[in-house]
Amino acid sequence: MIGFIILSVFIGIIIIAFSAITQKKLADSIILFMGVSLGSVVLFFIFKAPDVALTEAVIGAGISSLIFLMALKHLGEKK
Amino acid sequence: MNLKRDISTSTFSGFALSASLIITFLNVLLNNIPVDIKRVGDELLKLNGSEGVANAVTTVVVYFRGFDTLGEIAVLFIASLGIGLMLDSNIRCNLKAESNFMLKTASQLLFPIIILFGIYVMVYGHLSPGGGFQGGVIIASGVLLLLISHKEFEVPHSVITLIETFAGISYVLIGLIGLVVLDKFLGNFLPNNISDMGLLLSGGIIPIIYIIVGIKVGSEMSMITQNLIKRSDDV
Repeated sequence: MIGFIILSVFIGIIIIAFSAITQKKLADSIILFMGVSLGSVVLFFIFKAPDVALTEAVIGAGISSLIFLMALKHLGEKK
Repeated sequence: MNLKRDISTSTFSGFALSASLIITFLNVLLNNIPVDIKRVGDELLKLNGSEGVANAVTTVVVYFRGFDTLGEIAVLFIASLGIGLMLDSNIRCNLKAESNFMLKTASQLLFPIIILFGIYVMVYGHLSPGGGFQGGVIIASGVLLLLISHKEFEVPHSVITLIETFAGISYVLIGLIGLVVLDKFLGNFLPNNISDMGLLLSGGIIPIIYIIVGIKVGSEMSMITQNLIKRSDDV
């Protein structure tokens, strides 16, 4: 059962990452990148690294995506 | 198909060279695997009990590799410095649109809870998963929520500078006190009995240092987000 969950999360991360680099709008890519971070949070937690999972949830899924979005906002206004 | 024209000679030779190097490296690696690999993690886990800290990761990050953590904080400080220099902080503009009523009310409700959770993660860093870095970033995300919902809100620059300087200086001072008392930089000079393991007051200087790290990371990340949000668009 746990192996099935791990496998499905792995495949999901790969699919999300591939669709993130093929998006045409950059905002969609950033949201999908956040999804990759969320999947890795689940994996870190399953593999008994709760410290790394917490860091990834806070930094990877939270604040770095918001910083990317802010940078994108500034870039889009300049164009 | 004209292969000779599509792939130039230098590209092909470079590819062949790197492939042969990889094959050689793998061959050497696979033929020389030691039978009993001594891992650093096992040694560190054996030593972990001596400091009386329940979370082994915290012991490694703050105590065994405490000097590296000082370097990481310096890297974050340099990043914050670079962002502050590039995005001119004197030319400020507030967000143009007035934020939504829902966002304002929800942020007023959520901000104290986020700050409280950040402080909890920071203070319990030596007992449960988490610690200074995570707690500091959680506090910074609370500040970010307030920044995007209240456009007149601004983190006071002078106060943040004082807090950050205090945190950095006290990290180095604690390390130097350890150097004087125990002949070792960041030596654990406070009582750290193994019988106290799991209590809030345990582990000597390790929780104090992690709280200092959290204060420094929180103030730096708050300044980074403020500089990014409140940047004038016509620079």
